[in-house]
Amino acid sequence: MKKYNEPNNLGRFGDYGGMYVSETLMPLLIDLDQSYQKIQKDKKFQKELSDLFKNYVGRPSSLHHAKNLSAYINGPKVYFKRDELNHTGAHKINNCLGQILLAKKMGKTRIIAETGAGQHGVATATVCALFGLPCHIYMGSKDIERQKPNVFRMKLLGANIIPVESGSKSLKDAMNEALRDWIKNVRDTFYIIGSTAGPHPYPKMVRDFQSVIGKEAREQFLKVEKKLPDFLIACVGGGSNAMGLFYPFLNDKKVNIIGVEAAGKGPKTNQTAATMTSGTPGILHGSFSYVLQDNDGQIKEAHSISAGLDYPGVGPEHSYLKDIKRAKYYGVTDKEALSAFQLCSKLEGIIPALEPSHALAYLVKTFKNKQKGKTIILNLCGRGDKDLFTAAKAIGFDADE
Amino acid sequence: MNKLNNLPKKKILSLFMTCGFPNLSQSKKIFQEMLSHQPNIIEFGLPFSDPMADGPIIQESSKIALKSKLSTKHSLNLIRSLKKERSNTAFVIMCYLNTIQKFGVKKFTNEIKNIVDGIIIVDLPFEEETSIKKLLDKSNIHLIKLISPMTNKKRSQRLLKDAKGFVYYISATGITGSNKLDYSEINKNVSSLKKQTKTPILVGFGIKSRKDVLAINSKTQADGIIIGSALIKKYFEENMNFKKYLVSLNKFIKQVKI
Ligand SMILES: Cc1ncc(COP(=O)(O)O)c(C=O)c1O
Repeated sequence: MKKYNEPNNLGRFGDYGGMYVSETLMPLLIDLDQSYQKIQKDKKFQKELSDLFKNYVGRPSSLHHAKNLSAYINGPKVYFKRDELNHTGAHKINNCLGQILLAKKMGKTRIIAETGAGQHGVATATVCALFGLPCHIYMGSKDIERQKPNVFRMKLLGANIIPVESGSKSLKDAMNEALRDWIKNVRDTFYIIGSTAGPHPYPKMVRDFQSVIGKEAREQFLKVEKKLPDFLIACVGGGSNAMGLFYPFLNDKKVNIIGVEAAGKGPKTNQTAATMTSGTPGILHGSFSYVLQDNDGQIKEAHSISAGLDYPGVGPEHSYLKDIKRAKYYGVTDKEALSAFQLCSKLEGIIPALEPSHALAYLVKTFKNKQKGKTIILNLCGRGDKDLFTAAKAIGFDADE
Repeated sequence: MNKLNNLPKKKILSLFMTCGFPNLSQSKKIFQEMLSHQPNIIEFGLPFSDPMADGPIIQESSKIALKSKLSTKHSLNLIRSLKKERSNTAFVIMCYLNTIQKFGVKKFTNEIKNIVDGIIIVDLPFEEETSIKKLLDKSNIHLIKLISPMTNKKRSQRLLKDAKGFVYYISATGITGSNKLDYSEINKNVSSLKKQTKTPILVGFGIKSRKDVLAINSKTQADGIIIGSALIKKYFEENMNFKKYLVSLNKFIKQVKI
């Protein structure tokens, strides 16, 4: 069996990925790629990162046997990889710490980032506070409205938030603006991309930083179950928490891999964010991957109740895994996610973020009364605090003080 | 015959305009107005929903064009319809890769063959160009190279090895329509590029006025300039009054034609 070894040195996962950016950014990406290759072999860098993981983030995150949920679905035994317990409440911090250490190494003095749900924005603002670097966060005005608690968090952490009014006023547009900022400020600025999207080397680099999730989960699972899990499930926006969990298992052919996308009001409607279920291959934000687009290649606006999944693109590695059939991808609607959000809260005493609620919804609907005796790891990649107001509104609860 | 092979030695003028802006029929009138001044080059911008290298003005023009339900096919037909009026003006398309990719690279090349002399694909760097370049070369369409202040000498030498038509020198790090122009830095970089290629070097991004045009042409070794955002901006300055815009466009092009 051929060992998984993607991407190649041009950032290709099969045909997907690559570097589709203007010439102003190319020299920077090449420089970034070289610096990244260096720190991968740099023991001091890796030690610094693992110390921060342990003492600042609180890693390893636990692997929790969700007994009540397992009993409820009466199917496989379900484990949660609890990255929602991380400092700042989601997996995003893993990647931010890696990238800011790299930015420091490269002598960059200004940090920019895009954010959708605000989790990546909060994580970026957090590491900037920790390392004393100025931080500018691009965020769609629609997301600013629906993720207010995170906006306040970022401000407390000292970040400057730049509202984005273009396009759908959400994640895609925030990323456009961040890229434009980067083109303008190439010399001093480091762009911390929050997912496995964007041009090479980001998809690879972010995956590598996030793969701490899968490495830990693999070890923890082997220790308690003395075998590998039968299924992995994670939600997919740009795809970083999912790649983080999946990557260390890609060579374990017996492990079935499932990515869950946000299908908004339904995969066949125009209000969806299910890129791989409803999209076609194209180029967005510097890489070739599945995108939601019309017949003319104009990118469509995505829709999801979850700001973190509200993106018309997806990381190129997922497109590759889909095409080679190493992973399968499914869509879950806003409504389904919202009921899983409530179910998990009641059954397990864990209020999940709306993003992993999509993965939970898929789990419940697909495995109810099925696959008994099998095992699953679900990446519970974020907690629901940031979504309380959105969820309350959708459920019809008056959460105003 | 590729008209980009017959550019004058100096003071080349290239005018950029978004296709289908503000709508298809008015867009044609705008291009006709531009053509009546016989610039050396006209760049036809194909609107894209996510133009990441463009500033607010070109973004807005793309958005307006797309709102009027403009398709790639409409843009190509528009360009074709202007062919007879162009005399010596070279036609260049400026676009993002996804537009061509979705249309089909081969089909796209066939459509523009014998009409368009060159193409600038903003987000297609040297590293990714091979297969597309082959098809364009076959149809005698030049793939225009972009060079930025961040491009080092080693890289520019590789890029310029097979440069044809002209070289697009991005005058400042930044997006289209940026403000600062640093003539001495432009001159330093352009002079170095001049030693690496015989292909004319045009300076673009952020050129706004006759003053800028005169300065680039006199204070630097550049062979000409590219103006885009400044042409489009007049539309908004004239409060989107189309008649007034055409007058103001006419006046402005006269000023920058030196
Ligand atoms: C909790 C959580 N999960 C998932 C995502 C989606 O991103 P990705 O697919 O990169 O994990 C986000 C993004 O903001 C998030 O906050």
